[in-house]
Amino acid sequence: MRPPIWPGATPPGSAPPGSAPPGSTPPGSTLLARAALALYPPSWRARYGDEVRALLDDSCGGLAAVTSVAWRAVPAWISPPRHLHDRRARMRSSLATALMAWSMLTGLGLVFAQLTQFQGFTAPGHPEVRWAYAVFDVSLALSALVAGFGGLPLWLLMLRRAWREHRSRDLVYVLLPLIAPAAYLAVLIVTIRLVGGAQGVSPWWFLVVTLAGFAAAATAAAGPGLALRRLQPRGPALRLAAAAAGVAAAVMAVAAAAIVVAVTGLCLWARHFAGYHHGTVPGVYLALVVAATTVTTVSAARGTRAALAET
Amino acid sequence: MTDRLDRWADPPLLVLASLADEPKHGYAITQDVAETMGVRLSAGTLYAVIARLEARGLIEPLETDDRRRPYRITMAGAEALAQQSERMSKVASVARERLSTRLGWAGA
Repeated sequence: MRPPIWPGATPPGSAPPGSAPPGSTPPGSTLLARAALALYPPSWRARYGDEVRALLDDSCGGLAAVTSVAWRAVPAWISPPRHLHDRRARMRSSLATALMAWSMLTGLGLVFAQLTQFQGFTAPGHPEVRWAYAVFDVSLALSALVAGFGGLPLWLLMLRRAWREHRSRDLVYVLLPLIAPAAYLAVLIVTIRLVGGAQGVSPWWFLVVTLAGFAAAATAAAGPGLALRRLQPRGPALRLAAAAAGVAAAVMAVAAAAIVVAVTGLCLWARHFAGYHHGTVPGVYLALVVAATTVTTVSAARGTRAALAET
Repeated sequence: MTDRLDRWADPPLLVLASLADEPKHGYAITQDVAETMGVRLSAGTLYAVIARLEARGLIEPLETDDRRRPYRITMAGAEALAQQSERMSKVASVARERLSTRLGWAGA
């Protein structure tokens, strides 16, 4: 009877194609093995990575063996083994991602407010746009409050640890949410005074200021993310922050839905908004909003689930 | 259809059977399975199986200073292997008996 063959396997007694003689390692196989293992979740890699490399070295498996390792990374992500669940690492990782995506979404929300609400765009006869403005304002404020208060204990914890242990780099990372916006606002004020007129800044300067704002938001969010990875905080403060991120993301998703309703409503019903209507700007903008909302909610939900399981 | 019949040789079962007599590390398991059961497990499949069996408490890792960590079958693993072997043995017995009655085939 023909023996069954599993993916990446060859029949017993026959050398895999391209395999090196026993006892030697094919050139480049170490690099390939490392690349294949890099596809696995960090916890899986930390637990089995060395063993898999040893097996590949011993068996002199060529490309086929490495391919089988790479292919099996997919189920390792979809259904990671239970004994490798590191809930604290999951919370930290999800928090860092959710914070970055939430910052981008907040930036997109502020651009929305600047280009619609603050310009007085409405759709007469269609109160949905005004309602969407109100929902957006409330949701954005509520989400910021929840994120701020929920994350404050964790931020203070990391700040205290970085200060006590004289970790100057981590201290800068933790303080970036204060430093980056403050620096941006200072530059913004100076720029507006220099180039702004009675009607405000020109469209090109508005674009520059907006892009700079996104860069500042990304820097502000990246700081705590890096500090989370380096300081590896744990305990109730981490769980609270992860749970708060879930609530803040859910509320922010409502704000994003309000943006979609308002922009779509303006495109359909407001003549003054026609300048945007004829271009691809609203489409690109809404795609960015949906992408940022998806990343925020998925990451925050994974972190919240880990926090609840840890409780 | 013929390929589906190969499922009797589920990789988890092969690994448990390989560890039934003594602890082995990854390479020793692949060698043993290939030599005694005629199946060559790829590195990716083997470690996916090892991770799953370890999560279910059917095997356990042993201490080692080397990169080659040996695994040992647990009591739960031995019980699961014994139950599955019993089922397979019954199926094999019935199949052999009926084949010999109908076709006069006496087995290999």
